[in-house]
Amino acid sequence: MKPNYKLLLTLFMALVVQLVFAQTKTITGTVIDEQGIPLPGVNILVKGSSSGTQTDFDGNYSIQASSGDILVYSYVGFTPQEEIVGPTEVIDITLTAGEALEEVIVTAQGITRERKALGYAVAEVDSEQLESRAEGDIGRVLSGKASGVNITAQSGLSGSGTNITIRGLSSFSGSNQPLFIVDGVPFSSDTNAQGDFVEGNSGGSRFFDLDPNNIANVNVLKGLAAATLYGTAGRNGVILITTKNGSSKGGRKKNEVTINTSVFFNEIGSVPDYTDKFGNGFDQSFGWFFSNWGPSFSEDGVAGWGNDAAIDANGTIEHPYSTASSGTGIPQAFPEFQGVRYAWKPYNSVEDFFRTGTVTNTTVSASGASDDGTVTYNVSGGHLEDEGFVPENKVIRNTLGIGGRAKLTNNFTVSATMNFTRTDLKSPPVSAGDGNSVFAGGGSSVFSNVFFTPRSVDLSGLPYQNPLDGSSVYYRQSNNIQNPNWTLYNTSSQQITNRVFGNTAVTYDFTENLNLTYRLGIDVYSENNVNYQNKGGVTDNTRVRSGFYDTYNNTNYIWDHNVTLNGDYDLSDKLGLSFNLGATTRRTVFDQNGVSSSGQQVYNVLRHFNFQLQDEIQFYSEQNIAGVYGQAELDYDSYLYLTLAARNDWVSNLSQDNRSIGYPSASVSFLPTAAFEGMRGSKVLNFLKLRAGYGTSANFPSGYPVATRTLLDTQAFIDDGGSFVTTNTTDDNRGNPDLKPETLTELEFGIESRWWNNRINLSASYFSRVTKDLIVNRDLDASSAFTSTSTNIGEINVKGLEIDMGVDVFDNREGFSWNLNANFSTIDPVVKDLGADTDIIVYSGFTNLGNAAIPGRPLGTIVGSRILRNDNGDLVTNSQGDYVVETGQFEIGNPNPDYTLNVGSSMTYKNISFNFLLSHVSGGDIYSQTIATLLGRGLTTDTEDRLNSFILPGVNQDTGNPNTVQINNSQYYFDNILFGPNELQVYDGSVVRLQEVSLGYSLPASILDKTPFGSLKISVSGYNLWFDAYNTPDGINFDPNVAALGVGNGQGFDFMSGPSSKRYGLSVQASF
Amino acid sequence: MKRIYIYLIAILATGAVFHSCETTELDLTSNPNALDTTQTDVDFFNNAIQLRYGTLMDSLGNDNAQLVRIEYLGSRNYLNAFAPTDSDYVWDDAYRQILADVKAMTPLALANEQYKHLAIAQVLSADVLVTLVDNFGDIPYSEALQGAEDILNPSVDSGAAVYAEAEGMLNEAIANFNREDSQPGPDTDLYYQNDYSKWIKLANTLKMKIYLQTRLVDDAALSKFNAIVATGNYITDSSEDFQFQWGTNENQPDTRAPKYAFNYTPTGAGDYLSNWLMGTMLEKNDPRIRYYFYRQVSAVPGEEVPPNEQTLTCSLESAPQHYIDGGFTFCSLPNGYWGRDHGDNDGTPGDGFLRSTYGIYPAGGSFDDSRFEPVEQGGGAAGAGITPLMLASWVDFMKAEMAYLEDPASAEQFILSGTQKSIAKVTSFGSLDADADLSVAPTDSDISNYLDTVGSTYENASPTEKWNVMAEQFWIASFGNGILNYNFYRRTGYPTTLQTNRELNPGGFIRSFRYPANFVNNNSSVDQKQQVTAQVFWDTNPASPEFPISN
Repeated sequence: MKPNYKLLLTLFMALVVQLVFAQTKTITGTVIDEQGIPLPGVNILVKGSSSGTQTDFDGNYSIQASSGDILVYSYVGFTPQEEIVGPTEVIDITLTAGEALEEVIVTAQGITRERKALGYAVAEVDSEQLESRAEGDIGRVLSGKASGVNITAQSGLSGSGTNITIRGLSSFSGSNQPLFIVDGVPFSSDTNAQGDFVEGNSGGSRFFDLDPNNIANVNVLKGLAAATLYGTAGRNGVILITTKNGSSKGGRKKNEVTINTSVFFNEIGSVPDYTDKFGNGFDQSFGWFFSNWGPSFSEDGVAGWGNDAAIDANGTIEHPYSTASSGTGIPQAFPEFQGVRYAWKPYNSVEDFFRTGTVTNTTVSASGASDDGTVTYNVSGGHLEDEGFVPENKVIRNTLGIGGRAKLTNNFTVSATMNFTRTDLKSPPVSAGDGNSVFAGGGSSVFSNVFFTPRSVDLSGLPYQNPLDGSSVYYRQSNNIQNPNWTLYNTSSQQITNRVFGNTAVTYDFTENLNLTYRLGIDVYSENNVNYQNKGGVTDNTRVRSGFYDTYNNTNYIWDHNVTLNGDYDLSDKLGLSFNLGATTRRTVFDQNGVSSSGQQVYNVLRHFNFQLQDEIQFYSEQNIAGVYGQAELDYDSYLYLTLAARNDWVSNLSQDNRSIGYPSASVSFLPTAAFEGMRGSKVLNFLKLRAGYGTSANFPSGYPVATRTLLDTQAFIDDGGSFVTTNTTDDNRGNPDLKPETLTELEFGIESRWWNNRINLSASYFSRVTKDLIVNRDLDASSAFTSTSTNIGEINVKGLEIDMGVDVFDNREGFSWNLNANFSTIDPVVKDLGADTDIIVYSGFTNLGNAAIPGRPLGTIVGSRILRNDNGDLVTNSQGDYVVETGQFEIGNPNPDYTLNVGSSMTYKNISFNFLLSHVSGGDIYSQTIATLLGRGLTTDTEDRLNSFILPGVNQDTGNPNTVQINNSQYYFDNILFGPNELQVYDGSVVRLQEVSLGYSLPASILDKTPFGSLKISVSGYNLWFDAYNTPDGINFDPNVAALGVGNGQGFDFMSGPSSKRYGLSVQASF
Repeated sequence: MKRIYIYLIAILATGAVFHSCETTELDLTSNPNALDTTQTDVDFFNNAIQLRYGTLMDSLGNDNAQLVRIEYLGSRNYLNAFAPTDSDYVWDDAYRQILADVKAMTPLALANEQYKHLAIAQVLSADVLVTLVDNFGDIPYSEALQGAEDILNPSVDSGAAVYAEAEGMLNEAIANFNREDSQPGPDTDLYYQNDYSKWIKLANTLKMKIYLQTRLVDDAALSKFNAIVATGNYITDSSEDFQFQWGTNENQPDTRAPKYAFNYTPTGAGDYLSNWLMGTMLEKNDPRIRYYFYRQVSAVPGEEVPPNEQTLTCSLESAPQHYIDGGFTFCSLPNGYWGRDHGDNDGTPGDGFLRSTYGIYPAGGSFDDSRFEPVEQGGGAAGAGITPLMLASWVDFMKAEMAYLEDPASAEQFILSGTQKSIAKVTSFGSLDADADLSVAPTDSDISNYLDTVGSTYENASPTEKWNVMAEQFWIASFGNGILNYNFYRRTGYPTTLQTNRELNPGGFIRSFRYPANFVNNNSSVDQKQQVTAQVFWDTNPASPEFPISN
């Protein structure tokens, strides 16, 4: 009964406890490592009791203990050591470095585990791989650093969204984005785009609110066995982020201040090689077309301008603002251009349109600890200004975070973190382009129109604004293309986000072996959106033309309660048990409110009062998920570990019968190098671990899929009398009360090993994940009375292999050392079944051009129209010599790469370090409107060989004989490559990329001794400096790292919306 | 004791989690972002049905008109002229909106004894069904609209069966119009302003349309047609015209006639007009020409002014042999009538302020008083045009066709009466354009001369030419909606004078459209028709491409 007695005393009579312990003596000492360097923050415990302490900054400690007590000294990365308290009162300890793999890492729900005990894959990325990077987006910084994690930037625009998937897609209507856990609590990583991919995708991903420089480390839990405790939210893998504020590792040093500051330059990374041989026109004749199939820039030759009536002997044409139709108002507004001539020559319009943006980033953090190490704190602040390579694109981010942790003497430990982020994103709109203009919807796109500027059009030399009314003016004679410069300065998407997130946790230690933790997490953001276009734009949409101004606020909050009981017991000498039992609720609310105005009165006044019409913007959704979970880990003699876990969830937006779902997981880890006498202490194979895991999870639908609604329109029409006509109409979506959660099951096998004095490490994982009862937003035939429904059908199976390898080629701490590490992953998602009702579901993009699920085929298969084949499989051409288009949903590409290989190298010589990261994506098709348009409009060097005729290989539709019809350049490229069957716009997206490269220099201690600095490091680095999509036409310089369908499940599409960026610059990191 | 303590803390902590009841409420299934199905309103349904019917028929009427040269078609290949995705809107409007709304509204209207609401819905549904069959052949009916009852892949019914259902629906509608309502009629009647006698006339006229269209497969069609004619209770006067009236509001909502909204813009006109129709009316000196077409320039390159490769590529080209052989207009017309030939698929130069566009009738644009000014948004009647749906003049042409079968000479009176009604209606639109100089409008004697010429031409024509005279006049009178003309063309093969496709070999004429992409892609009971030459049930004429002659 003695422990209980102590417990009560501890709780209620702390003073008395002091008296009880006063009979013991004080032990002091210093803890150092093998090099004699003092170790701060070493944990010292009296074995079998709950009393303990930590060493201070100089490695000194003092602790109360009685003779015969055993003191346990433990420290991350070192072998724990035990000392029996004897007569002496001073005990100095030298700790020896332990096996590196015996590290402790944070797993689900904040539970720390020894890495060797884990039966599943966890990838770790430490702060050194995250700090001082040119990209301020944590998603993009992680790119290439963990196997099985696929990261795609939506575009190179600063602040644009980022798509992250771990181990491929496991669902095609639900979200496949991983769960972000920041300092132990869920963190919204939503991307709230303004409009869909057709209208424009502006809007950042909310993990942009994290400052990579303030992240202590990132663990990626890839499999379901790893994430079961997170329940449904963890089904797509978990990105566990510990910020420096939330890090409990404080106390290594008493006080430390670090400053990280960098300046980078941001340029467009994918400018096409435009031709300097031909200009605007069609069929070698000049005209103010969208295309560049006009005369050559040399006077002579078949296509020489000397043959063209519109070009005079001096090589000039009439100025477009002189010849424009009077209906455009251009000739009246620009008297100065009337009769003026304009040189027929190539202009660097596109190259000059972009700029070099400057990116500056400063993060300051300070951390400290009390002398005894029981109270730690961290404060950090950051400021990022990231100017895009597109004028008027900029993102500013301010972050402020505080965190602390105190171990109270009454067995309570309290900790809290609080972060504030303000992100101000501004960007010209980006809508999908179809090679003519922007897709229907009427928005503007800064990229769509600029990339196919004919070479003889001087974009920067032409005024873009009508001086009389501010409207867009451009070279077309009917002015029916919006000037890209007008787009820049008259239309914008802005998103200002204020976000607060953090958590507070209270732990009570009943005994050394048992504690209870309650944690409350909050994450609230308020996203203020402004989206406008001045009147005078060029579009078919009357509303957009009249000028519009939308302002709305998205308030999102997550309220997350969690309570866990954690125990850790030795059942016998060899058998240990630890367990966690928990309960949690999570409430997510999204509330959107705003006003949409149109009919601008005074040009460029952007307030609602200046607009004629107002309309509402309002949307609300809420979801509660409650869960209970438990996990038990059995450990046998430190070489065999078994983990069993289970969770049950209840969700609020399904019918009562389908609301609850339970799912178990199990994993085992076995260490032959510890289990078998003969394998211990081998110099060749230092460490071997075999693991297997079985995990399950569930996925719940979002929104309100059970309800069938009625759609009301209060302004459907205006009748003769001038009154609004109100309509209501049946729902297009069929509510499905029978909808159930999706279930996911994953089997995973892995191996981890270290060889030759730990110089080589090699690990591999194989997984096979099956998703059943997929929640599908299935399109219905309208004659069923609905056009969509949420339903459960089918099965998909994702198999994959991940291999990570690291080699210390040279390992000389004093001189030259070189470490190479590589990760390889291949993921094969296959659709097994879609149920009896359907054999194809197109779940992303357009129904006639999108990503599809087809049984037996890779998930995400690109479907679209193709070249008609005859019965022999020959391509069929028509009487004009063009391919005959077969419309329908035909397989025209597979966007899944064959494999991804990332190779990182880090070399250090004394104080100099040189690192690079190369990544290679092999395979993966992409439907590229950028390539098709640049070829189809004759703009790049790829199309310079254009004066001969082309004959398409195929057979004539009518005769069945081989096609012999000769067609010219524009018919070949324009009619077939650009506007022909979709099949011809699909390219292989293989790419080799120099993802990162950096050269760093750390000032030696001998110099720093005379300064206040503890360390000072200067580095120059570059990001995405070089890439080669080697299977695409050379002159396009196409970068396949785009997600034109936005952040979601679409893949392998480019609609002229995503040139990439390259960045390079200098950063300085100092601590004092 | 220790255990009790643990329990206590556990209960307290769990309580903190689950007692904040907001986070544990597990019944949040209803959607606050729309009405639920119990909050619907019969009037609102009726409004939706009337409105969607108007927009659907406007679009289909335009598609059909392109096939018969009333409007311009920009494809050299009939198979690909309309992609299956181009028809997705038809299914969405017809089934998901109009017919599903009628189905949802019917029990409510019956319970409330709102029979007029129901009758209007039935008339419009019947015409939607008939038009779907005319365009697509066999369509879902008996299994349709039962998605809520788990029929997600409705199979098709024969076109003849759907026609029979539509005829029955019109009879029911007439019965419902004659029933005593306990409630007032619809709040909004966009067509006849709650004059139900006109609705009954329309229902009878739509029955006449069914009999006319099935005359090749139903021996009794003529007598059924004549039986209605004998009652006189059908659309005979232009005051009874069935048409959709558009407004002038540009935005929120855009109530302008679609033909106006797409062409009176700051970047000029977006559509090309049909060279065949403009050329034919020019040649005949038709008094409606200044109402139908608005010219922005006085001359087309290659006519009174030199050819211009930048604005009209074909002005530098020579006509293909089959155009020369057929004696068709090629590329350009005199007097500034700037349109395009049937099948011309040239790229689009910046000619938005050069090409001719829709005039005051029916689009609500500008009257062409030879002002030759560029179009502008808000110009002319600002879009307050109409979409003609069933006009008294067209009923005369329906009667003319039936009369011709009995005695070709007897059709003349109907042709003249139809033409006269059409001209009267069209010329009445002139005053809608406040800026118009109507001094150039046709005089009464111009009109009577024109009618005389039509009459004498008909009288002097051979039996085949008589068909052409009738059909050409019907075509001209139908500007704004080609649905009846597309049916006429497949039923009779006339007129044989239509400009053929620029492409010598464009494939067989479209005898019915391929099914909409979403219909075949999302419905496992249906396979796509791989050809456009499938004939609907009432079309027993020879197969394409031998029929129709003009292809």
